[in-house]
Amino acid sequence: MHPQPLLEVDDLHVEFSTADGPVEAVAGVSFTVGPEETVAVVGESGSGKSVTALAVLKLLDGGRISGGQVRFDGEDLASLDNRAMRRVRGNDIAMIFQDPMTSLDPLYSIGHQIVEALRLHRPVSKKAARERAVELLEQVGMPDPRRRLASYPHQLSGGQRQRVMIAIALACSPRLLIADEPTTALDVTIEAQILELLHELQREYRTAMLLVTHDMGVVAEIADRVVVFYGGQVVEQGPTAQVLRDPQHPYTAALLAAIPHPDSAKELQLPAIPGAVPALRDMPTGCRFNPRCAMAWDDCTREVPPLYELPGGRTSRCLLHRDGGGSAVVAPPAPPLTAELAPAGPPARAPLTTQKGI
Amino acid sequence: MASPAAHREDTAPAPGPPLMEVTDLVKHFPITRGLLRRTVGHVRAVDGVSFTIGAGETVGLVGESGSGKSTVARLVLRLLDPTSGSVKFDGQEIAALSQRELTPLRRNMQIVFQDPVSSFDPRMTICSVITEPLEAQGISSGQQARDRAAELLDLVGLSSRDLDKYPHQFSGGQAQRIGIARALATNPRLLVCDEAVSALDVSVQAQVLNLLRKLQVELGLSYLFIAHDLNVVRYISDRICVMYLGRVVEQGPADAVMTDPKHPYTRTLAGAIAADPRTGGGTRRVVVRGEMPSPSNPPPGCPFHPRCPQAFDRCSTEVPAPLPAGEGGRTASCHLLDITAVNGKAVGR
Amino acid sequence: MIEYVVRRVLYGLLVIALVTVFVFLTLRLIPGDVVRLQLADAPGVTQEQLDARAAALGLDQPLVAQLLKFLGDAFTGDFGISFQSQQPVTSIIAERLPITLQLGLMALIISIALGVPLGLLAAYKQNSWLDQSLRVVSVAGLSIPNFWLGLLLVTYLAIWFAWSPPLVYRSPTEDLVSNLTQMALPALALGVSGMAAIARMLRSSLLEVMRSNFVRTVRAKGAPERTVLLTHAVRNSLVPVFSLIGVQVGGILGGTVILESIFAIPGMGSMIFQAVQMRDYPVVLGAVVVFGAVFVTVNLVVDLLYGVIDPRIRYA
Repeated sequence: MHPQPLLEVDDLHVEFSTADGPVEAVAGVSFTVGPEETVAVVGESGSGKSVTALAVLKLLDGGRISGGQVRFDGEDLASLDNRAMRRVRGNDIAMIFQDPMTSLDPLYSIGHQIVEALRLHRPVSKKAARERAVELLEQVGMPDPRRRLASYPHQLSGGQRQRVMIAIALACSPRLLIADEPTTALDVTIEAQILELLHELQREYRTAMLLVTHDMGVVAEIADRVVVFYGGQVVEQGPTAQVLRDPQHPYTAALLAAIPHPDSAKELQLPAIPGAVPALRDMPTGCRFNPRCAMAWDDCTREVPPLYELPGGRTSRCLLHRDGGGSAVVAPPAPPLTAELAPAGPPARAPLTTQKGI
Repeated sequence: MASPAAHREDTAPAPGPPLMEVTDLVKHFPITRGLLRRTVGHVRAVDGVSFTIGAGETVGLVGESGSGKSTVARLVLRLLDPTSGSVKFDGQEIAALSQRELTPLRRNMQIVFQDPVSSFDPRMTICSVITEPLEAQGISSGQQARDRAAELLDLVGLSSRDLDKYPHQFSGGQAQRIGIARALATNPRLLVCDEAVSALDVSVQAQVLNLLRKLQVELGLSYLFIAHDLNVVRYISDRICVMYLGRVVEQGPADAVMTDPKHPYTRTLAGAIAADPRTGGGTRRVVVRGEMPSPSNPPPGCPFHPRCPQAFDRCSTEVPAPLPAGEGGRTASCHLLDITAVNGKAVGR
Repeated sequence: MIEYVVRRVLYGLLVIALVTVFVFLTLRLIPGDVVRLQLADAPGVTQEQLDARAAALGLDQPLVAQLLKFLGDAFTGDFGISFQSQQPVTSIIAERLPITLQLGLMALIISIALGVPLGLLAAYKQNSWLDQSLRVVSVAGLSIPNFWLGLLLVTYLAIWFAWSPPLVYRSPTEDLVSNLTQMALPALALGVSGMAAIARMLRSSLLEVMRSNFVRTVRAKGAPERTVLLTHAVRNSLVPVFSLIGVQVGGILGGTVILESIFAIPGMGSMIFQAVQMRDYPVVLGAVVVFGAVFVTVNLVVDLLYGVIDPRIRYA
């Protein structure tokens, strides 16, 4: 752990207003990102991971921070006004998004879009900004960078557009880069290229990174620490290698087991997690994972587990830790192919598809 | 493990004629230009693809976007008309049949899409969604069709209580189960799964993969399985075809192809797969430079040669033919394999 | 690009030719006969006189021959001689077309100059009372027929303010104020539906753009809302609105027929109105060809300008 964290998310709550009243997408989330550290926030859809990332920059569309603090370098961003917030965005904290196909303005050349990012925070001439844009494009591995300045987004492939997004994000040498599923929309070989690029540039620019992803493989590859989200809460966090090798929360263990990997035995079922991710309005009482948990007992439906501090800078939100010490979490074994299948769970109520970012 | 159709790794292809036999399948989309809309070129989406699917077998189709795998899926179902080539289903040529002649065959071949919810009419109940193909095919209607729908829901792990609900009331995984139930309604023998689990959360994806495998065992289904997640394809497939720029560059038993790839492109893909995260990470993948060229302007010779670390002069002039590359009917289209043969290894062409 | 323009022009000519044929045949289906309209009042008209007049007007020829002759001549810019005034149709049109173009242009400017700000305002103040009232105004603007709106304007201005526009046409070089005073009301009546359509479309288009991913990117760069809105959002939201303008022109040209007649403006519209009444076939057909050409040209220009705004559009 770093002595003075760069980003401290402290008991963050985010609410979205819907036609049926407000729903809480993030329910008291806390974690930190140290200088030059890479922290992965991992979870499934509806876990609140993307909403948390957007809340840091206050880019929530239709949502608002309803509680808690987001401290960057000691200053609470949650209480900043729009004007002050704009000086942080793109300057101290930059962000890249999941879908490179739609994240660039189709009507402006990529040169314009990089120069704009630069000139919003730096008093440089257009000419100097263009030179810097060429340099940035070169750094992100864009072939023929000078000529590319005049290209429009539709003339680039998905991988190249994501490179442009990275160039825009790095334009003002931010201290924190938030990457929201940066490779999800890309093919595997391009994903490998982009992850390598992010890793290299992060070292070069001495930038910290908050990586939001659903992909444990990506987490394993580049994160120093991992924060596991479920149902709008942090259920486990700690150094990546330890969490992945020896998960302390039953959800983390089950999620890792459910991923097909090169050695998955074909004569066995995949150890699926039964049921579906709960809808925001229908969060179970007690532990939010209890209806799907293989290890749950009566207490889990009644008692809300706190985040227990574990040795090695780890935390886990599971009642198994109540009596002290590590839990005996084991991943559920893979059943034989002919065994009963895990149930699909009861039909959900209308999922909240109208709000973006949930 | 002696589960019925469990695993046929490295065994010879199933005896008897394959359920589906695709030979030299080609689909070119013309690019037109000018006053008279004359054709100035073609997007070679599929450029001479051959493979077979045995009864009860799963064939995985992998490749990057633009490789033509989804076009192949649409061609074998005749949702698109092929430019040339042959598609035989159960011995019958279907590439040249008219839509009218195809109709009775359609009940044998169904497709499951990536996003089930958008392929359902939001105002139709689950019952009508599932019974629609039954009524369209004139198989059954009314109470009979409803009973069949209830049976199908039960089969895919949902309940007959869900019959009168609407699509938006289900989660993504449940909606995909409904998509599978609809595809199974006509008792098909071949199911094409086009990125059928790609949009699902990991925990739910495993449920649906398990369901697909259970249905295969119980119903003797064949699958043509398309996905970009190579671990998923490898887990579910008996055999894998690797596509690049409209061609199959390598095919063979799933594990063999992924653990011991013979084509440099397959090696690239296999190297780009993330390791099992439970090892704790820290491993980096093999990174290949460059991106796949556009299928409207494919390079001459081997389509992979501009990115291939092992390319030599022959690769830029001559399109490599599929060469035998190991047991289980493996083939790979790479000139390097030919050199091995020339150098005296006992591999006949 | 040049090939594209040539192809569009050829398509345009085809469209005009087809419309001309259609109008040619429709005119002949209208009961009434130009010869009788011209000579019916003359006492003791004989059949010979009627036949001679018909022959003089070229109406004794078979229908197909008349049509082919008209199309052939029209291609060289000759629309024949007016049955009524005996002047060449081409020179009548040359005199009247600028007047109608001025009116149409004014109507178009009104619809854009009012529609764009109203649409932006409605989107910016989404769901406010202002947005709601603009919605009502827009729906009304779209539903009210322009000639009726024209009549209402004249009537109520006369009743309330005892004011009516000048009824004698003056060209802008002759008397600009009188010219504009006369043109203002019909231009407004013609422009209102376009204004409403543009405002509605711009509102929904801008709201959609504001929710798009690239707007989020611009905000993430730290751009002030002014830059987000003016540099990125508005320009993107104008792209679909732009295509509306081509359609508007069709509506405006059609509207001039009645409105010019109401406001005594000696343009193409009032000319068509009279010519149809008098079965003055060459004049009607000539006007149709010219209106068709204007419409086709405007739409071609709009489509070409599209490529200037949106780099994704390619002409092939």
